[in-house]
Amino acid sequence: MFETRAQFRRICLLFGLLLALSAIASDPVEAQIQTKGVVDLDGRAVNPFQHAAGKIVVLVFVRTDCPISNRYAPSIHKMSAQFGKSAEFFLVYPIESESAGQIRKHLKEYGYKLTALRDPERALVRAANITVTPESAVFSADGTLVYHGRIDDWYTEFGRSRPAPTTHELSSAVEAAILGKPSPVATAAAVGCFLSGAP
Amino acid sequence: MNSKGPAWYCVTLGLVAAFACVSVRVESFPSRGSSDDKTQVTFNRDIAPIVFRYCSPCHRSGEAGPFPLLRYEDTAKFARQIAAVTQRHIMPPWLPAPGEFRFQGEMRLTDAQIALFKKWAEQGAPRGDAADLPAAPQFTSGWQLGTPDLILRARKPYALAAGGVDNYWNFIFPTQVDGTRWIKAIEIRPGEKRVVHHANILVDRQHSSRALEKHPGDGFPGMELRIESDSFDPDSHLFFWKPGSSPHEEPAGMALRLEPGNDFVLNTHLQPSGKAEWIEPSIGIYFTAQPATKFPMLLELQNDAALDIPAGTANFQVSDSFTVPTDVDLLAIYPHAHYLGKELRATATTPEGTKRDLIFIPRWDLNWQAVFYYAEPVFLPKDTVVSMEYVYDNTEANPSNPFRPPQRVRGGNRTTDEMAHLWLQVLPRGTSAEQEEARRLIQEALSRHDIARDPNDFAAQYNLAAMLQARGDIGEALTHYQAAVRVKPQDAIATNSLGGALLAAGKVSDAIVALKIAVAAQPDYFPAHYNLGNALAALGRFPESIEEFKTAVRLNPADSMAQTNLGAALAETGDLSAAKEHLQKALELDGKNTLAQEDLREVENRLAEKKQ
Repeated sequence: MFETRAQFRRICLLFGLLLALSAIASDPVEAQIQTKGVVDLDGRAVNPFQHAAGKIVVLVFVRTDCPISNRYAPSIHKMSAQFGKSAEFFLVYPIESESAGQIRKHLKEYGYKLTALRDPERALVRAANITVTPESAVFSADGTLVYHGRIDDWYTEFGRSRPAPTTHELSSAVEAAILGKPSPVATAAAVGCFLSGAP
Repeated sequence: MNSKGPAWYCVTLGLVAAFACVSVRVESFPSRGSSDDKTQVTFNRDIAPIVFRYCSPCHRSGEAGPFPLLRYEDTAKFARQIAAVTQRHIMPPWLPAPGEFRFQGEMRLTDAQIALFKKWAEQGAPRGDAADLPAAPQFTSGWQLGTPDLILRARKPYALAAGGVDNYWNFIFPTQVDGTRWIKAIEIRPGEKRVVHHANILVDRQHSSRALEKHPGDGFPGMELRIESDSFDPDSHLFFWKPGSSPHEEPAGMALRLEPGNDFVLNTHLQPSGKAEWIEPSIGIYFTAQPATKFPMLLELQNDAALDIPAGTANFQVSDSFTVPTDVDLLAIYPHAHYLGKELRATATTPEGTKRDLIFIPRWDLNWQAVFYYAEPVFLPKDTVVSMEYVYDNTEANPSNPFRPPQRVRGGNRTTDEMAHLWLQVLPRGTSAEQEEARRLIQEALSRHDIARDPNDFAAQYNLAAMLQARGDIGEALTHYQAAVRVKPQDAIATNSLGGALLAAGKVSDAIVALKIAVAAQPDYFPAHYNLGNALAALGRFPESIEEFKTAVRLNPADSMAQTNLGAALAETGDLSAAKEHLQKALELDGKNTLAQEDLREVENRLAEKKQ
């Protein structure tokens, strides 16, 4: 019994690897992006990449108590409305201690109409290389991370904001991805509330 | 017939700060800077005392801090953030570098305290022994100084959009008092504290701001306020709110005068928070029975004209200096620049040549601008030169630069213009007569200083002229009134004052020319009609004179002198009964009007002669 099962598993694994390899060669790759522990506000497992199959995926990482990410609510709305046809925007809450109830309240308060995901195990944080909120990530339709970093340059240093941003890295990256072009920059350092150390 | 004294054209920028920390009861704790690496830093023993004193006043419910920092759980969540922002001196927000002079309510952490935060974060933010935790700070809720004597509420809340650029909005608060009152403190409750970055109050005695509102009560936009005042009694009080500040109580004898009908204008800097907010500020006023006996003055240094900063310049320097003409005590200082400001310094050089920093801000940040009160007044002896030395950074490396790529930026009042201003609140020394003389000296020196920098500075030319006229130097006064009128040829106040001075100098025909311009420029301007009536009467042109006095009386029926002069002019044309009527009216308005008494006697005598 044991051996049979072990053997079966091995076969399965092998099969899986082959599949993955072929997928890289042709049409990737939902399976490659780890989404372990990612849930919606009802606690159901969600894979945003499957959810948005064939579309560009934009993850915007926020938390309920970060003033900088809160200030971005209107520009996040604007971008999701502008690019909604070709890109699917998700709000990702990576702080484990923020409950679904707190997040629902936050969505209402800031008028968010996007799908909100919780990422308590930080699978998406790792997949997108995120260190602070607010920070964003753009995945092309084939699941490649094409941009991660700040939304714009409103804040480029702690505690210092311009009257208004002068560069718009996230929307430039989304626009480029829609046109199938490389993002003007692959990354730009984001300023905000640290994720590491935050429970 | 007398002429109306000159109206002062004083431009005040009332500002100032309330500083001393919010009323927090915290025991002082020995700092534990030298703890070696093996010692564990805990929240309860090491971190809580610092957090309670420096963070919790703002970081608690209802205050400006975006999240609470009172309990272990709240603080541990931000341990790394706190370590980073304290290390870079971003929090607690306190711009001046440590220097020779201390300020009230300093919010600066020691290097040892900063090191503790860093170590605590590195060690994983341990909680520590419950027995070590000091009592949580107690805060006063509601009005910090108790129930105000008068509460003014915004007539209309301002709807701040969820997003967009920083916003500057002004609220007008009309005041209603029966007679002169003296204010010892003003508490500003700015509304939603998480979006109001700072707020300050200016006194508008002339309703000059009301014209800026589309509808009464709406408020109006604008970053920099300038309010014209018709009196020189120095409204040099500073009422300023920033997150964490508590209301400033004026020292005994330094109360601010409030007259019936005065307006307060509250200038607010709002930063959209991500959701729409209603901003509904209120102002609490605390009166004192003690009228002012000490009158501080504001020395304004500025050099906006020198601000023309080429794109890409990292160290653009601007300076201005002023020689203090008399002994004064410096009470407070308010440096001001916009987004390109980098390094702001103010110095004082004594007559012996010793130069000292009054304030040094190594890393300017408009968002944390404030009025700084000295812990002890700083004595500035006569002939001390106070200077501002500001440095601007118009490169991409400036994280606050509103433009990318950088653009040429010039001086101006808009957010994206630049400013170079420094206000010093000073109090002259000596007896009350000496103080009055000192204020005159300072005012004259300030006007001459402004004229030397810019001969087209209308307010400076006008003010200097008015001062010279007040002390009887009509000749030099005329020179400066004429200079003011060259800048604003159609300004009713300036042309009227020029006319009044010409009249006083006996140049009646010239006076009539100037006064006719004044009445044409502003047909409802009472002093111009009054003075023009006088000038015409001086040339014996009574019918024209009567017309002007009639207009003056219509505009201001309660002015006893206008009634008197109208009566006198009517008497000159032989209309004795009408003359009598106006002279009686003049005496009803002011029983001590001796001129009206004499004229009335004369008119009654003539009427009696006529009957006989």
